[in-house]
Amino acid sequence: MAMTGRSVIKELTSNGPGRVGLALLALLCVTALVVVFTYPRDFGSEHWGNPSRWVNNPRSVPPAWTAAFDGGRLFRHRSVELTEPTESQATGRAFIQRFDLPVSFAAAEPPNFVALSMRGFEFHARPPIISAFLIRPDGAEIALFRHVLSAARAGESTPTTRHTDEPYRVVLSGEGSAGEALARHFRGAYDFDLSSDQLRDDFEGWLFATIVDGERRPLAGDYTVRVEIMAASEDDRVDSIGAVFGGAVFGVMGTDALGRDLAMGLLFGLPIALLIGIATSTVSTIIGTSLGLLSGYAGGRTDQVIQRAADIVANIPVLPLLIFLVFIGGSQLWLILLVLVAFSWPGLTIMVRTMVLQLRHGQEVEAAVSLGASRARVIARHVFPHTASYIFAQLVFFAPAAVLAEAGLSFLGLGDPSIPTWGQILEHGFRTGAVFLGYWWWVIPPGLLIVLTAVTFMFLALGMESVVDPRLKGARR
Amino acid sequence: MLVRRLLMRGLSMLGVLVAVQLLVVISLGATGYSDRMLQAVIGEQLRAMRGGFAETIRDPDQLEAAMEAQRIELEQAYGLDRPWYARIPAMVFRVFVLDLGEAHTLRSFTGSNRVADIVAERIPNTVILLTTSMVITAIAGIAIGTRLSTRAGSRLDRLISYGSAISYALPAWWVGILLILVFAFRFPIFPSGGMYSAPPPTGGFPRFLDLVHHAILPILTLVLASLGPYVYVVRTMTLNTAQGDHVTAARAKGVPERIISRRHVLRVAAPPIVTGLILGLAGTLGGSILVETVFAWQGMGRLYYEAIAGTPDEMVIVALTFVFTLLYVVARMILEVLYVLLDPRVRYD
Repeated sequence: MAMTGRSVIKELTSNGPGRVGLALLALLCVTALVVVFTYPRDFGSEHWGNPSRWVNNPRSVPPAWTAAFDGGRLFRHRSVELTEPTESQATGRAFIQRFDLPVSFAAAEPPNFVALSMRGFEFHARPPIISAFLIRPDGAEIALFRHVLSAARAGESTPTTRHTDEPYRVVLSGEGSAGEALARHFRGAYDFDLSSDQLRDDFEGWLFATIVDGERRPLAGDYTVRVEIMAASEDDRVDSIGAVFGGAVFGVMGTDALGRDLAMGLLFGLPIALLIGIATSTVSTIIGTSLGLLSGYAGGRTDQVIQRAADIVANIPVLPLLIFLVFIGGSQLWLILLVLVAFSWPGLTIMVRTMVLQLRHGQEVEAAVSLGASRARVIARHVFPHTASYIFAQLVFFAPAAVLAEAGLSFLGLGDPSIPTWGQILEHGFRTGAVFLGYWWWVIPPGLLIVLTAVTFMFLALGMESVVDPRLKGARR
Repeated sequence: MLVRRLLMRGLSMLGVLVAVQLLVVISLGATGYSDRMLQAVIGEQLRAMRGGFAETIRDPDQLEAAMEAQRIELEQAYGLDRPWYARIPAMVFRVFVLDLGEAHTLRSFTGSNRVADIVAERIPNTVILLTTSMVITAIAGIAIGTRLSTRAGSRLDRLISYGSAISYALPAWWVGILLILVFAFRFPIFPSGGMYSAPPPTGGFPRFLDLVHHAILPILTLVLASLGPYVYVVRTMTLNTAQGDHVTAARAKGVPERIISRRHVLRVAAPPIVTGLILGLAGTLGGSILVETVFAWQGMGRLYYEAIAGTPDEMVIVALTFVFTLLYVVARMILEVLYVLLDPRVRYD
């Protein structure tokens, strides 16, 4: 019963588990390909592992769709960015560029944080003065902060540039002057005394609130964050002014404690998981089969040595050794794969040898030998094809074990830090206490994806079961 | 035959132990790890000696010369003057007797920093978890598997074979996290981790109950992760036996079904069922490392996590790798003896 690619597909589509497995595998592969072609090559080190990329996201917040169950209480994440001023005017010797960043607020909960970021300043003489205000729906104007960029140093070329790479970033709750202005406003408008503790604990809550009957109420309506750049020269300019209003929910899968978009990390983990599963199983199948064929066909001393080695390696508990070797050799993905391969070949070697021993004394091989076929030809044409379907089924069987082993290793903190995997996302969540805070969006999805990938391969293996064990043929359709 | 089989298995297990030892020692040596570790030990000892030397030797130059002489002597004593592969036998021996010096930051519960002490007091905790979950898995697996085998091909049977595939694909540690989310966070019925409440209750029996209360979730996790595949093995094994001629004969004689299933099926299928446990052993062992980590269960698995996180304690990791292998080998031999006791063909041949 020689096996071709077509006959495998035929076998798999003939039963339930096989069909489910094929469908899942196709889905996973297509998604993985999309990720491979759309993500940057250095995603792990430059994007995922770089906290400054994620500062504008809210931290540890659930997915945006959860807000659908909350009756609009939660503030949705919003960011506004302007590259051109809304209004420019010249007053005497100063040139003022005004940037108006609007945000409408209707939720019961205030934004998580409000941050302004300004990028790419260019000035000729004196540095510009930046001042920011919040204009509230009730008409009140609250001065948030004032900042003067550092002046040109001696010998610095003109025009002087500031914050071209890293934007100048201000988190409002950290600005004492904003709090003072807010307290002044509450005293003046409502005769209400805001304590510094209240401001420290819930700055955003007060920023978007009013006082009704001595009680704090959220103040819904259209707000404007106004940034004014007062420049000394007409040619001074700024690339972009942006405001971020941190949501209580974010994105498709929420964020982790660093504000990273979990959806991005989870997607990136898919091709990695498939690579781990497929690469490990393919290589260990090749090694296992070759050694099995060699052992069964060569016999004698070679057979003895291979079988002893297989017996021992098959009985080594893998995880402790994997932990040890990766700990000593460093957390690199290729090393993890190498160790997994090194420990997963023996089962197949023992099985293939047994099959070869049976075939070797069969009529087909005897006939071929008597016709003068070479040893290599006998193995390639008359022995290997008979074992192929069994070997293929085993190949599928190795994959989930490899995926699970890598995930477990990553969970212990030994994952390759330059390549984020699902296990690493889980590890980070566990280490920073996400489990004990009930951050389910951080710990459930990566685990589900691990299970989904492993189950896909398991179903394929189940679909191939009747090939491995012909007695099952017809019995379980 | 009985002795011969056990002897062969024993030799094979000894081979496993030696192979793991060699692998550990060679990778420590070839990567230069062992050199660095020994240098650190020598540096430590020299620092300790310096004070004593300084009391008698006043001249700084002479002091340096004396220290240098000491250093060379120590390096010879530890074999650092020879290449790493010449030290393999000595290293293997040291690991075997857990003479692994002192840990950097980890301490035993009694405050000792000797690696042997730290590891030794964790062994019982791991063994409690492992044996309890294995016994529960075995009992539940045999009960469910044999019941299923009488209904082979039914809808329930097919459901279970899907279920066991999914169970195989479940990472035990993630199941543990889910259980914590549900039973410790959402519905606070069980503690989320640790072995005892703080402060632990006084008195033997309340203390034991407290331990049980803490052990339920980790044991449940281990059982859930290993039960699925095991039920499937038991079902298939009993199914194969149930189709045997002797069962048909017994049925023809009119032996009651209950007795057939107990004496003719289960009794004959018993040895392969033990094989199923043997096959699952390594997985359960690996699972327990991660599950202990999740539940902060103070066993050897959690110790791995603690030794990797923060300042890595390489000697603790070496010791754990060895002890885990040893634990596997011992458990394996116990199951082999059980197999021999259960299999009349092996016993009477």
